Amino acid sequence: MSEAFMAYPELRHPFEATQIHPEGSTTVLYQGKVISLAETGSGDGLLIDPEDLSRVNGFELKPEGACYKEMCIPMNDDLLIEQDGRQWFSLGAFADLLGQSYVVDTEAAVWSFAEIPFKRESMMVNAMAPDFEIKDRQGKVIRMTDLKGKKALIVTWSSW
Amino acid sequence: MWQQVYEEINDPNFVILCVAEDTGGEAAAGPIFDEANPTYIQIIDEDHIISGAFNFVNVPSAAWIDEEGRIVRIDEGTYSKIHEIGEGEQAITFGNDVYVPALKDWVEKGADSEFVQSAATVTDNIREQSVDQQKADAAFRLANLFRAHGQKEKAEHYWDLAQELNPDSINFLRQNLTLSEEGSAGETFMKVIGDYGSFGKDYYRPLDL
Repeated sequence: MSEAFMAYPELRHPFEATQIHPEGSTTVLYQGKVISLAETGSGDGLLIDPEDLSRVNGFELKPEGACYKEMCIPMNDDLLIEQDGRQWFSLGAFADLLGQSYVVDTEAAVWSFAEIPFKRESMMVNAMAPDFEIKDRQGKVIRMTDLKGKKALIVTWSSW
Repeated sequence: MWQQVYEEINDPNFVILCVAEDTGGEAAAGPIFDEANPTYIQIIDEDHIISGAFNFVNVPSAAWIDEEGRIVRIDEGTYSKIHEIGEGEQAITFGNDVYVPALKDWVEKGADSEFVQSAATVTDNIREQSVDQQKADAAFRLANLFRAHGQKEKAEHYWDLAQELNPDSINFLRQNLTLSEEGSAGETFMKVIGDYGSFGKDYYRPLDL
């Protein structure tokens, strides 16, 4: 086998430099999605418009808290923050509360979130396949839930 | 290779999701898919979302998922046949000829197949993911965003961070090496694989068939 087996150095950085988002906005990465937030509050913890919560991580704000399926996380003053008469949701505080890992590039205003641990509990405890959402090569969105009623082999490979 | 298996099984209630863990995207994985003329679901997973979801650390790995969404086998070196690369003294073989017959048995018999594992066996075979390893996934995806926007230094920084946070990930290591002159099976890879063996770690669960 040659030492350069599966070497694609030309693919390392093939892209022209472009801006990630318009000036003043913030980008969230979660489950492979790139979510652009035009407005955020000032201060630590990534303060987002509560209206943006569901498109960011699938949680819905209800009277009982931020809810995903049957799980509701009650709100408190660390999570819902008033600033100049406007309400913000602290995505950072929410992630910390749920034990969700993230990496932030403050300079570029990009927050990359790992999966929320409790969403994976049914896999770790009961061997239930985790939810995922990903596009196929034709651009069709494939969700784990779409596979219900069929047997599926999910097999990874790579060109390398 | 999986196309042939998919055609042989030919059951409308069975699907294959074939997922290329390739940050190089269409340019790297597309031609290989096209050559196979596939009719199964083809995904190019630049951010390694699927490996992250199932806690896989290497390719090829797989999960069998039944009609109710239950995983009934997971994380074995998933080969459709015995492969041979190279000739003469350079030749290497890998893969096996027992995985596909087991898969066919499961598709035919469902829960009655002897190859279906209990939830307890499956959860034992699912890797734990430490906080650092979870953070590594987030760092890797951040790197890929910077790459896509032509911001090389930041891409390199977060790729390095991903590997520091999850040094057990063969996926992150080889993905990175693939995009280098050294390639995915050079000196660095051989050393890591050697270390893996000497520490008694596994990158697939033992093929229990």
